[in-house]
Amino acid sequence: MSERQIQIITDSFWPLLKAGVIYTIPLSLVSFALGIALAVVTAMVRLYAWEPLKWIAGFYVWIIRGTPLLVQLFIIFYGLPSVGLTIDPFPAAVIGFTLSVGAYGSEIVRAAVISIPRGQWEAAYSLGMTHIQALRRIVLPQAARVTIPPLGNTFISLVKDTSLAAAITYVEMFRQAQQIVARTYEPLLLYGEAALIYLMFSTILSALQNTTENRLGRSSIS
Amino acid sequence: MIRVQGLHKSYGMQQVLKGVDLTLQKGKVLVIIGPSGSGKTTLLRCLNLLEMPDKGSLQLGSVSLIFQEGSKLPTKEVLNLRKQTGMVFQSFNLFPHLTALRNITEAQITVQRRRRNDAEQRARQLLENVGLADKADFYPSNLSGGQQQRVAIARAMAMEPEVMLFDEPTSALDPELVGEVLKVIKQLAAEGMTMVIVTHLMRFAAEVADHVILMDEGLIVEEGPPHDVFHNPKSSRAQQFLNMLAE
Repeated sequence: MSERQIQIITDSFWPLLKAGVIYTIPLSLVSFALGIALAVVTAMVRLYAWEPLKWIAGFYVWIIRGTPLLVQLFIIFYGLPSVGLTIDPFPAAVIGFTLSVGAYGSEIVRAAVISIPRGQWEAAYSLGMTHIQALRRIVLPQAARVTIPPLGNTFISLVKDTSLAAAITYVEMFRQAQQIVARTYEPLLLYGEAALIYLMFSTILSALQNTTENRLGRSSIS
Repeated sequence: MIRVQGLHKSYGMQQVLKGVDLTLQKGKVLVIIGPSGSGKTTLLRCLNLLEMPDKGSLQLGSVSLIFQEGSKLPTKEVLNLRKQTGMVFQSFNLFPHLTALRNITEAQITVQRRRRNDAEQRARQLLENVGLADKADFYPSNLSGGQQQRVAIARAMAMEPEVMLFDEPTSALDPELVGEVLKVIKQLAAEGMTMVIVTHLMRFAAEVADHVILMDEGLIVEEGPPHDVFHNPKSSRAQQFLNMLAE
């Protein structure tokens, strides 16, 4: 490796990491938080709502899971302006990722709720709780524990998927790397470096996921 | 306290209850025995509407309900009835994410709107009554089956029910843990709690019951004071069942 290449790597490390910390991570966090809220609502609708609403929620999950995320982002950012709906890159990316997390997450939440034994509902009912009270106080807190490992995976996938936002001009870490490549013509070095920083993020998140699981798991092993 | 008339329940084509009548006075203990599949658990679960009867009537405390096929009871009536009954399950069904204490305070707070302090005070008193004062902060997974079932009894009692329902409360327990649960149930009987108990333990039934009913194939085939039912059964089906147990 030449001195120039080493220079490029060291010069670009901080800008890349900075782009990761101030663009990639916030984009992931905002999309994930909104996505989880959407996932819970969608799961509840699919489990308990009035039939036509169930159908709409099912349709939404079907569309999002059945089409590529990149195509969805293009439709939101490049497609919608032709019907008069222009959205800036950041909100466009948030909408795209939120819809995605909402759809995949809703299946995780739904499966977790179904996995809670019938006896838990019956015990809650026998104490005079309504369906909503039993759901909120007894079933969802237990279901939440079940969802932590799969939602942790969803979050790690999301962090990596935010690189797709580069394609709709949002300057997150990967877009930043592309721009440096355009100046230096060192694609292998820069993309390798970006990959390494994604790997760093994923590793930290996996570790966080493990500690959360251990902490929450303590009281729930039966 | 309880009056059931003409209670019917089917699952699809299978008739589980084929017209059951029973009455129980306040402060009395009714024990339901019978072979598995006889409908005794279903009957018990109909008393707090975990199973919805198809036909018949149920009067319990201040609630009076008539069931008709195809018509749904208002949720308010169902909740009203459940507030007058407490239930103890074969598999305990404690809430695994809550400590013993919180298992007992949860419904007091959400259903009865008691203040946390009052609910906790009450829960501690109940835990003491069932001999588990020192286990308040334990999670169910750290309690033995017998201890879990005693917490479950305390949890049901915390709602101050008019009637306690027990669905084979010792069937899931190791033999050496059965006694501690029976002791608590007997203690409740001695305090004058109205109870309906489904059990396979005949000696316990004879000891605790004021009235015993023996069910078979969805009907009551024998009933009366425990001494009569166990030692002098009139129906041939009851004689058969009791002989089978004696072997």
